This record gives sequence, structure tokens and C-alpha cells, in this order.
Amino acid sequence: MTPRFEEEIGPIKKAIVDFGEGHRSNLAVISDPFYGESELMDRVESMTGEEGIRIDARSLIRDVEAFEDASGRIVIVEEVHRLYRRKIGGFEMMNHFLKVLACSDRLFITTWNTYSWKYLDEVLGLGRHFPQQIRLSKMGAGQIREMLLSGYEEGELTFVEEEPADAEELKILNRSSYKKTLMGHSLEIPYPVVKMRSIRSRLTKSEKKSPEDIFFDRLARISDGNPGVAEYLWNEVLDYPEVRNALKDPPSIDLDRDESFALDIVLSMGSIEMGELSQVLEPLDLSAGRIAGLLEEMGLVFLEGDVIAIRSEALKSVVEHLRRLRLVW
Amino acid sequence: MAENLTEAYSNLSTSTSSEVASGVSANVSSSISSDIPSLGIDSSTVMNALLVLALAYVATRIVVFLLTWLSEKVYEHRITVKMAIPLAKFAIYGFAMYHILGSILQLSTAQLVAFSGLAGAAIGFGLKDLVAEVVGGFVIVLDKPYQVGDKVRIDDHYGEVRDIGLRATRLVSPDDSLISVSNQKVLSQTLANANAGSQEMMVVIDLFINSSSDAARAMQILREAAVSSRYVYISEKRQVTTLLKDYPFYRRVRAKAYVYDLRREFEFESDVTKRSWDAFREEGIEPPKAGVVEMGEGPGQSRS
Repeated sequence: MTPRFEEEIGPIKKAIVDFGEGHRSNLAVISDPFYGESELMDRVESMTGEEGIRIDARSLIRDVEAFEDASGRIVIVEEVHRLYRRKIGGFEMMNHFLKVLACSDRLFITTWNTYSWKYLDEVLGLGRHFPQQIRLSKMGAGQIREMLLSGYEEGELTFVEEEPADAEELKILNRSSYKKTLMGHSLEIPYPVVKMRSIRSRLTKSEKKSPEDIFFDRLARISDGNPGVAEYLWNEVLDYPEVRNALKDPPSIDLDRDESFALDIVLSMGSIEMGELSQVLEPLDLSAGRIAGLLEEMGLVFLEGDVIAIRSEALKSVVEHLRRLRLVW
Repeated sequence: MAENLTEAYSNLSTSTSSEVASGVSANVSSSISSDIPSLGIDSSTVMNALLVLALAYVATRIVVFLLTWLSEKVYEHRITVKMAIPLAKFAIYGFAMYHILGSILQLSTAQLVAFSGLAGAAIGFGLKDLVAEVVGGFVIVLDKPYQVGDKVRIDDHYGEVRDIGLRATRLVSPDDSLISVSNQKVLSQTLANANAGSQEMMVVIDLFINSSSDAARAMQILREAAVSSRYVYISEKRQVTTLLKDYPFYRRVRAKAYVYDLRREFEFESDVTKRSWDAFREEGIEPPKAGVVEMGEGPGQSRS
């Protein structure tokens, strides 16, 4: 299997070498949820050897001073975005962390959620504390194919194209309607809706691509180039030795501002405990339990015990929805 | 036509009173019947012209509906899409007038000159305000001192621009009143545009605290309330600022922050104010004593 993060490991290696020569430049690795940056940190940790110490930011929530006393000149802190809450008084831990980081002579290699990073960069000016920023970029269909097929022999898997269930699937136009009540009468105005999926499907057919190409193009589009999401979807459709192109488009989202804000909080953390979500929503007179239930019903999040997390297959539509509402930038 | 009217006048002056009514009506009807066919204006022409105007009206309603619907669908480009509404309206009505004058009435150059003269006289006597309003509408659309969707203050009126019509601009005030301001008046009045075509808009939030309270902590709380609000919009150019001003008996803590959608101006202000005061109470930050604020400068009088 081809090792991942070859491109990203270079600048990190250089930062470590430079640090050894007396030049410190803290580093932030920024990625979407599910990207799999912990794999990158595994490699970084092995590079740092005895000089390094690896800390999960969740442990700092309980004891923010923990890493100050720890040995190791190179500190790897994962998921640093967990040190803030979007509420009054919710930035104290993060400010303390940044203060320690600024006063320290150690090298900090940190990982961040993209959406938290963008928000905190505007609010706290994170960029000034981390001169080096590595953004884990989206993967193309070719890279995803290489990643997923690396464990298989050529021709070992058979890609089966799912036929549309009926002629309805091939229709380019769908009928929808706009409903309005006017002077006590309910009006329904029909209008056509273009089915992009059908158009794309027809276009790809006309190019006569192989089922494998069609599958990976679609996988890259639905996963938005996120390897973690792509891997999840791959496992969903893999029925060894067959791979069925049964990938579903992400769900469309219809939420009000408050519900979208709660979804933004979950996205910015990747996953969050219900109690922490309540801390953010309660001052707004919003019920975390009610909204979490609603989001779960819509297939956008899943609840596991006390933790609420974004569904990987819904990630793309969640980000598009929140970007449209300008809740993420 | 002038000769006919002179003839009618001379008939009128020489006739007896009993002959006046029948004489005038005969002459006028003969003048009309002889002149209108020469202009090509018969009842079907008038009907066609009215039909074109009616179609133009329906077309503008449909275009406005579609563009408004589209603007909500492409939320991040709402204002840009809405900018097209007045342009489309003027284009449709302009095309309708061009079609009526050119294709339906089929005016020759001489007739166009005569029409222009008549139109000029009509404008001079009674329609000058209406024409000035329509011209004002054109200037607003081209010069863009504001666009549909902007929040503006025109004279004493504040609200969101809902429509730039041929004659007037319509604003919706914060208390949901529809205000029509003549386009002509807009050009001669002082105009303040709060967002100038952007979807986001600066909101100034003032909180007044007791002089003995911890002002630094109050500023920090207000800033955190603003940046953590679900309505806030922050970018490199749209930063949150907090300011403190000292008055003899109280202090004013001010936050300047951008709301993501100008239609949420008051929800944003209310959200930040409520949560700030909840936190102030927990931290022992107190409001000024009763009556003290009125003694000094009141809110909104200074925009530093």
C-alpha cells in the first residue's frame, strides 16, 4: 500500500530539522473531519522519537496544564479545536493554550478541524501563532482509486453498474410545486426541476467510461475528495468481489437558523458530547436534545451514547448547507 | 387640427346658445373622426396598446417573483440577484413603450415630433412630477446609491429596500410598515446605506454599565457574546471591535460587529445584548443607577 501524506510529511520533517538547528516554527495541520490526520501524526510521532510527546486535546480539557510539565521538546497536540466552546467564557482554555505556546521554547505540531480553524483564525488570530499551516487537500478520483485499490490485485474486484430502477430515474425534468395561501385559498404553482444526477448519468454514459471510472468519479464527488468519507462509502458498497455503484447522493437539508447553528457546532468539533452542546445552546434557550434528535432523524448526525457526531456520508451536504447560510466560511 | 379647432371656436362665437351644444359636438366629433384615422389610432390600436401594457405588467410580476425566489435559493448571492429586479422592470416597460410607439402606433417622424410636443406640454402642465419620478428611478438603477435588499435611511425613514419601482422606492421599516418614497425625493434627500450591496451589515450594540463596574471584563464579555453569536459574520475585513467610553456617571461599552444577513439586524442585537447582560449579572457588572443615563449622552447620539 502506498503510504499516504507523502506531500505533507516533507514540511513537517523540515520544521523538525529546523527546530533542531534552533529555529522554531509552530505548525498547524488543518483538515476536514474524517480525513484521517491521526495517521499523519503517527508518522510524525515516530519521526520525533524520544524528543516528542503526543497529547490529545481532550485530555487538556480536564487539565490544561498537563503538557506544561511533560517532558519532550516537540509537542504533538491533536484536535486542538476541542479547547474552545462557542459561548461567553468558552475561549479561556484556548487563550491559555495559546499563551503557553507563545511563551514556550518547544515546537508545537497541532491538528485542527478546518471549520474551527477558520472561525478561530478570525476571532483569535490563530495564524499568528502558527506560521506554518498545512491544509490537507481534497483527493481526486485517481488518488482515491489508488488509495482504495492498493490492497487488491488488478482485476480482483468487479465493478457493477447499478441500472436505474425504472424510466423515472432517467427523466431530466422533475415536477415540483410552489404552494402559497392567498386570501384563504391554497394555490399550487407547478414548476420544473432539473435532475442533475440524470444529466450527469447521461453525460458519463455518452463518454463510454468503464464502470470502474464511473464509480470512482462518483465516489470522489460524493465524498468531496475526503479520503475518510470515501473509505466509509467504499466499505458500504463493497460486497467482495463485487463493488456495486449504489452510492446515494447526500441528503438535501432544510433547517432553520437555530438548528443549522447546532449543526455548525457539531461540524466544527467533528463530534461533541451532548453536555457540551447543551452548554452552547442553553444560553440561546435552545434544547440540545430536541435538535440532536431532529438532526439524527434527518440522517445528518448519529448519536452514540452521549456523543453526537456528523455522519460521514452527510458531510458534503452539511458543509454546503452551512456555507450557504454563511455559518462556515 | 388647429384649423378645425379655430373653425369650431368661430362657430361657437356666432351661434346662439341653443346651437352651441350641437355645433361644438358636431365640429369636435368631425375633427376627431378626421384626425384619428390619420394617426392610425382606432379602437383596435388602443386595445393592442393596452394589451401590451397589461402583458408588460404581468411579465414584470413574473420576473420579480422568479428573481426573488431565485435570490433566496442562491442565498449567498441574494443581493446580487435582487439587483437585477429594477433593471428587468425598466427593461420590460421600456420595451413595451418602444413596441407601442414603433409597431402599434407606427408613428412617422412628423407624428413623433407632434407626439413629443404633446407629451412635452402634458409633462409641463400636469405630469412633470410623474416624469421626474420615473427619471429618478432610472438614475437610481444606473447610479446604484442603493439596491433591492439594502438597508437604508432616507430622510427620517429607515428600512430594507423591497422594490425600486418606476415611480417610488418601497422600504419595509423594522415595524413592518411599507413606506413609499418618491424616486425624485430620494435624489434630493440625504441617503445613508448601511450595507451598500453587501449581504452582511455592521450593527452597533451599546451597553451602559455602572462606573464602578469592571469595564475591561465587560468589554471582554461583550466581545465574546458578539463573536459567538449565531448571527455574526466575521472575516478579515469584517472584524468585531469593542470600545469603551467614559461618562461622568456611567460607562458605555460598544460592540461593532457584522450580522450575516441584514434582515437579522435586530435578532443579532437582541442575542448579544441578552447573553451579555446574563454574563454581566453573573460577574457583578451592574447597569448605571436609575436616571443616570438620561443625564448624560443617550444611546445613538455618538457614533465613535
